[in-house]
Amino acid sequence: MSSSRRATIIVEHLRKQQMWDALAKGKRLDGRDFDDQRPLEIEPDVIKKANGSARVKLGHSEVIAGVKISTGEPFEGLENKGALIVSAEVLPVASPHAEPGPPDEEVVELARVVDRGVRESEMIDLDKLVLVPGKIVYTTFVDCSVVNTDGNLFDTTSYAVVTALLSARLPVLEMQGDKVVDTGETREMPVTAIPVSITAARIGDYVLIDPAAEEEACMDARITITTNEEGFCAIQKGYTGSFSADQIKKAAKTARIKGEEVRAKLKEFTAR
Amino acid sequence: MTQTRNLIDENGKRTDGRTADELREVKITVGTVRNADGSAFIEFGKNKIVAAVYGPREVHPKHMALPDRCVLRCRYHMSPFSTDTRKSPAPSRREIEISKVMREALEPALMLEDYPRAAIDVYVEVLQSDGGSRCAGIDAASVALADAGINMRDLVAACAAGKVDEQIVLDINDTEDKEGGADMPVAYMPRLDQVTLLQLDGKLSQEQFDECIDKAITGCKMVYEIQRQALIQKYFGNETELKEEAAPQ
Amino acid sequence: MHDVKRRYVIPGDKIAEGNFRPLMNVVKSGSTLTATRIGIAETGRDGVKVIPLSGVYIPRVNDLVIGKIVDHSSLSWEVDINSCFSAHLPAQDVFGRDFTPARDDMSKHFAIGDMITARIMAFDRTRDPMLTVQDRDLGKIERGELLMISATRVPRLIGKRGSMIQMIEQATQTRVLIGQNGIVVVTGRNPEGIKLAVRAIKMVEEEAHTANLTQRIKVLLNVPDTPPQQEVSRAPVGTGSDKPQEIESTIDEVEEELEVEGEK
Repeated sequence: MSSSRRATIIVEHLRKQQMWDALAKGKRLDGRDFDDQRPLEIEPDVIKKANGSARVKLGHSEVIAGVKISTGEPFEGLENKGALIVSAEVLPVASPHAEPGPPDEEVVELARVVDRGVRESEMIDLDKLVLVPGKIVYTTFVDCSVVNTDGNLFDTTSYAVVTALLSARLPVLEMQGDKVVDTGETREMPVTAIPVSITAARIGDYVLIDPAAEEEACMDARITITTNEEGFCAIQKGYTGSFSADQIKKAAKTARIKGEEVRAKLKEFTAR
Repeated sequence: MTQTRNLIDENGKRTDGRTADELREVKITVGTVRNADGSAFIEFGKNKIVAAVYGPREVHPKHMALPDRCVLRCRYHMSPFSTDTRKSPAPSRREIEISKVMREALEPALMLEDYPRAAIDVYVEVLQSDGGSRCAGIDAASVALADAGINMRDLVAACAAGKVDEQIVLDINDTEDKEGGADMPVAYMPRLDQVTLLQLDGKLSQEQFDECIDKAITGCKMVYEIQRQALIQKYFGNETELKEEAAPQ
Repeated sequence: MHDVKRRYVIPGDKIAEGNFRPLMNVVKSGSTLTATRIGIAETGRDGVKVIPLSGVYIPRVNDLVIGKIVDHSSLSWEVDINSCFSAHLPAQDVFGRDFTPARDDMSKHFAIGDMITARIMAFDRTRDPMLTVQDRDLGKIERGELLMISATRVPRLIGKRGSMIQMIEQATQTRVLIGQNGIVVVTGRNPEGIKLAVRAIKMVEEEAHTANLTQRIKVLLNVPDTPPQQEVSRAPVGTGSDKPQEIESTIDEVEEELEVEGEK
């Protein structure tokens, strides 16, 4: 059951006034244009024990993603594909409002939207991650720990997951009889596409990408649009307000263009 | 825990090349979590751990508040990618126990009676683990508490010692933890010379026990110097020594 | 010889030994005085204290604070004062004793999200802080640029008898409201002036513990070195000319060094 809840962040009237004044001039409180992202910092391979990992900072939002690869049974209905599961947790470390405990509906949505972006873009060729069809496949877990929140966890988490997968080393396993054996070699993950998510927020009539926490606290609606090289592959509208069809189309166009820029940055982290 | 193979070679070198009295490399950075009131990131050997403190702050739910002192809550948690085999995100019994001993290791140092009806939350998250993570977590938490400006009688420094190949060694690593003869984590307040955490896992004779606890305390003192430097670096910049200044009245 | 000895300390550091009084953020055990926080330890004839460099704001009676309205019941507004406790502003304080609860009246006067300047009227170990706006210059803040600094840096930002903040105000043609809880609001006609004032305030926050700060702020603000001016008789609102005795003497001592350094 999902229910409305009281806002956790109440933005001061003074800040809201400043925000509206700035928006009327085409700027945001931190000086950005509507289509500017905050500074993006990407650091791969931060968790050496994991098969792949990345630490991403988008503005002050910070997420660490870790890839752990093992073997297991395939998902029901997907017997000839490797298994891939993306999970996320907003650590209580990350914000005065985060509480320890199982993920709430917002964090579950975050993980599923990021997962959908990776899956529907066909970033990883899961056909290549099968050991015994129908019985034993590679299982790739991508777990995300959010370390500091400052808005737009969707994009921050997505970039961390994508970088972690791009830079991951896949252990080369083979079957000897009915036992799975690690050959000791590693290779890159079978990557066929690089999904990029771009999230936009509507505040009044203004649509801004990469909302910071203060902007999220004032927004009416939010939309996360994931593209791969060919086009759109996953979209999620969120929050309690609405968009006009025109606003959505414009946001989609921006997501594609901005997506290309970010894709170029992420591509540099592909494992060799 | 009975050992099955030699973990120290004929030159006295351990599995990671250290000698019996060597501490792994420790680096602490203060203030890494922007939203927190106090925070620290520690790299202790291959352990990578972030600690964040929120407090003093309001207690939710209100009925959990104590009238005459602060409520201290600690959570030790390991990220799923932090261990060799992926760990489920749900808290395990081990994490629950460590959360408790960690709280009991930090509490003696904190002046909780200064903050009645409030709460101090200490969150320790292990991002990569490699033996001795509970000690490293306490080391980071202690620095984070000082960074948050909580009144403390002393810092708390933690380090483990153990028995490997019938020798007592300082700061056991992951392999030594799994395959060695004994593991003794200790937390200690250096200025007050008081032990606040002590656990033992393994077999020690009286002599080995005495040597082990002494060695662990020596390790704690070494870690304390690193904690102190980290705090001084953040707050007082490049003054690496205590500055003595006399100003006329 | 009355020296004030100063040094940087972390919790647990021994500051002094002997017959000294523990004043602030210091514990005395036997004859040893130990710091309980990170900060600047001062040993003087009054006793031993540590001026803290970090820590959440702990409310004190009579403090002037700037808070945000976050909720209201039929009897009071709940005010976030960026502290470990939520504060309350009783409806009676605003409407008078014969006030009858009517929800509309409450939110028309102070709405959720409004910023107010208020004074802490009551606070002790058993209850949350209670505020009042019944005073000259207290009440809703209509406009201005909002900043948050660590509450521990507020004395330095104000300066001895307001000297630091007045210098910033005059040089930037702004008016700066400072709450003891670290919330600061800057108003002025000139956006460039406001930006400069914000930079100066942030610099004070970051370098509060260092020597020669006043000089560096002067350079930032382009204030010439002139002979001492007449002290302005009006203290800017919120600079707490009514602060508790302890803080006044802390400021004196922190400023002592500046005077020696040639502030003239």
